[in-house]
Amino acid sequence: MRASKFLSLFFAVATLIISSGCAPKNPLPLNNNYSSSKINLPFVAPRSKLCASTSIEMVSSYWQTRTPYTPLLSLSELDARTLIPAKGGTLQIELIVAARANRMLVYPIEPTFDALICELSEHHPVIVLVNRSYSWYPLWHYAPVAGYDAKAQTILMHFGDTPNEAVPIRTFAALWERSGNWGVVLLPPTQLPASATPEKFLRAAYDLEKIGMTNEAIIAYETALTRWPDYIPTLFALGNAYYNSLQIRKAEEVYRYILLIDIKYPYALNNLADLLCHTGRSDEALELLDRVVIDDDAIQTLIKNTRKDINSGCPPFIEK
Amino acid sequence: MKISKLVLSFILSVSLFTQVLSAQIASTDAILGQSVVSSSKEKLVQIVSRDDVAKRFEELGVDPKIIEARIASMTDEEASRMALQIETLPAGADAGMSILGAVVFIFIVLLITDILGVTKVFNFTKPITNN
Repeated sequence: MRASKFLSLFFAVATLIISSGCAPKNPLPLNNNYSSSKINLPFVAPRSKLCASTSIEMVSSYWQTRTPYTPLLSLSELDARTLIPAKGGTLQIELIVAARANRMLVYPIEPTFDALICELSEHHPVIVLVNRSYSWYPLWHYAPVAGYDAKAQTILMHFGDTPNEAVPIRTFAALWERSGNWGVVLLPPTQLPASATPEKFLRAAYDLEKIGMTNEAIIAYETALTRWPDYIPTLFALGNAYYNSLQIRKAEEVYRYILLIDIKYPYALNNLADLLCHTGRSDEALELLDRVVIDDDAIQTLIKNTRKDINSGCPPFIEK
Repeated sequence: MKISKLVLSFILSVSLFTQVLSAQIASTDAILGQSVVSSSKEKLVQIVSRDDVAKRFEELGVDPKIIEARIASMTDEEASRMALQIETLPAGADAGMSILGAVVFIFIVLLITDILGVTKVFNFTKPITNN
């Protein structure tokens, strides 16, 4: 009798130690007073191996109902752009690439519950990567998260066949942690992620420009400036995007605005000088270059080349 | 082969075009701490990595008609990450395990526990702690 009591106590303690040792390192949002949220996310039934394109489709159609955004790609085009048949699934990079090709800005969230719940409370669905099994037998899966129920401690997501499946927070945390808490918000370029930092948002917007979606990138830069109006890197990117798409007057305006904030910003001085030269104002261009304080080699080379260009005369633009 | 040439010519034309447009201005790359591609060697490396991804896509059964579009939508960084990591990155797939998979899985687990001497399910196993 005594022995069995001792044994049961031993097992109880052992279980406690083992279970606490196995708890996710990522703290659960149990005591964080996060408020509940529920997004009215359209549901598309999953098809085998196509959870990435299905997830993009659900989020795209959500934004279509709320904003003037129109997607570029159909569901079958998304399928064709995401599946790697021999792998039977989609790589994270390609989910990002396909969503962007669908005219959306892709913002990778910080790998925390803070960031996830923050986006949900602003009604931004988040696509997460989870591993439904253990790392030694991985079953990777993408699914959009559509809400959080603070009372029931569940994450609502279109996980499989059931819309808004309520996944217990502990289960979700365990599955999500195995992907390093990977998640992205997909947004039309007129929207800002709730958890965004100006620099990370700029990178995401600039990626649109890099693949040739200059108009979308310009809209994204302008949207960013509504929240961070004097953030020079975004202003500079906007000026360049205007300049590269030959909207010369707008580019000039933006470069001059940067110089109002920081009179010695070398990149704006350089680019404005180049612009002025091409629009027949070489004297002012050279004056601007004289203002540059050279403190590194890259800037020195840049200024030297621009000065050489100005001195040999710049051909005028054919303005749009 | 046909595809890779297409990709090559596309990238070349884009890179040449942008070069003409912005010969002297500082690009946004310059302030984002990204490597500003200046030398033609670096450009070649990027073209080659796109070409590599195209070839690997073909081997992995991606529809040849869409390969060019898929790669053209990648930034340079994404294309080179793909070229380097396509074998190791996880592929998000779909539904859970199949019934057959689960049966095989349970078999292997019981086999291991048998071998460890924790269970004795099969007649043909011998535990390793045999004394």
